[in-house]
Amino acid sequence: MSDAGHTQDELYGEAAAAYGAALERLARAYEADPDLRRDLLQEIHVALWRSFLGFDGRCSLRTWIYRVAHNVSASHVMRQRRTRTQALVGLEELENLPDANAGPQAADRSQALDRLMTLIQRLKPLDRHVILSYLEGLDAASIADITGLSSGNVATKIHRIKSMLARWFQQGETDHE
Amino acid sequence: MSAEVLHKRARKFERTIFLRNGREYGGALIAALAFGAFATKTHDVLFRIAYALLIAGLGWVVFQLHRKGAARDLSTAMGTSACLQFLRSELERQRDLIANVWPWYLAPLVPGFIALTVAGLLAGRYPVNLATVAWLDGIVALVFWLVWKMNQRAARSLQRSIDELNSAESQH
Repeated sequence: MSDAGHTQDELYGEAAAAYGAALERLARAYEADPDLRRDLLQEIHVALWRSFLGFDGRCSLRTWIYRVAHNVSASHVMRQRRTRTQALVGLEELENLPDANAGPQAADRSQALDRLMTLIQRLKPLDRHVILSYLEGLDAASIADITGLSSGNVATKIHRIKSMLARWFQQGETDHE
Repeated sequence: MSAEVLHKRARKFERTIFLRNGREYGGALIAALAFGAFATKTHDVLFRIAYALLIAGLGWVVFQLHRKGAARDLSTAMGTSACLQFLRSELERQRDLIANVWPWYLAPLVPGFIALTVAGLLAGRYPVNLATVAWLDGIVALVFWLVWKMNQRAARSLQRSIDELNSAESQH
């Protein structure tokens, strides 16, 4: 059963049009390998379409879409655990990683973003959900709704994320002045 | 993505889940075929009973794998559940699956191996050296123990992840 007045295909069409680019960015943050990333993105789209059979409007479309996308991606990360060479870390440990201290500062912004993405791929799923949602411009309340964390906890994590990003990018700009 | 492409990919997704499950069952099928081949080659009734018990044991394991652990389509649950709750539920499911491998994954094969041992010891035409039987049974027992041990270790690791999520959920 879909939301009254909207078919499964209509809901999916709306979701793909509004959030297609965001879903691509999300897939990139969850999977470094281009082929696996393409598979993951397809899996997200298919899961989204299938999920709209059960969408009843109890939450916003945006919350539903991000939940499905993050949950599919988390399942993907869990399946990859046997082949992963490095352990995933929490947000708190990310700051202490040697390559985090080397920083994503780089000659140009795209390299800096690539380095940031590499660091995000080291994060445990839940912290990855938070930082990616923050980078997509969602507020703490929306992120809490998607992740199931309390608003207070999300706010604390966002504060930490802001500090890390400010330190990395400010340091990068300073190094290249 | 057009509706036609999407429907095509949804069918491909279902095939992927089917294949993913198939890989789990493939090893059991190969072993069952091997035991079946041994059973047809031997004229010893006890050996045939032993191989039949092993095949039945494998069938039970596959049935349990399908019932408990098969990859499932969770599309609707992924939308209704917030990420923490979804992740925890999946981790708990996997933990419960592997924390108790003995009754559903290992024990079903024991009757077959015991029957095989007895058949080997009592075989009239081809007497089996007792030391050889003990050696082979020792290897099987060691493999069983290692499988149990590895799954216990993995279950503890999953429990640590679940505890972290519970801790995160309780933080305000």
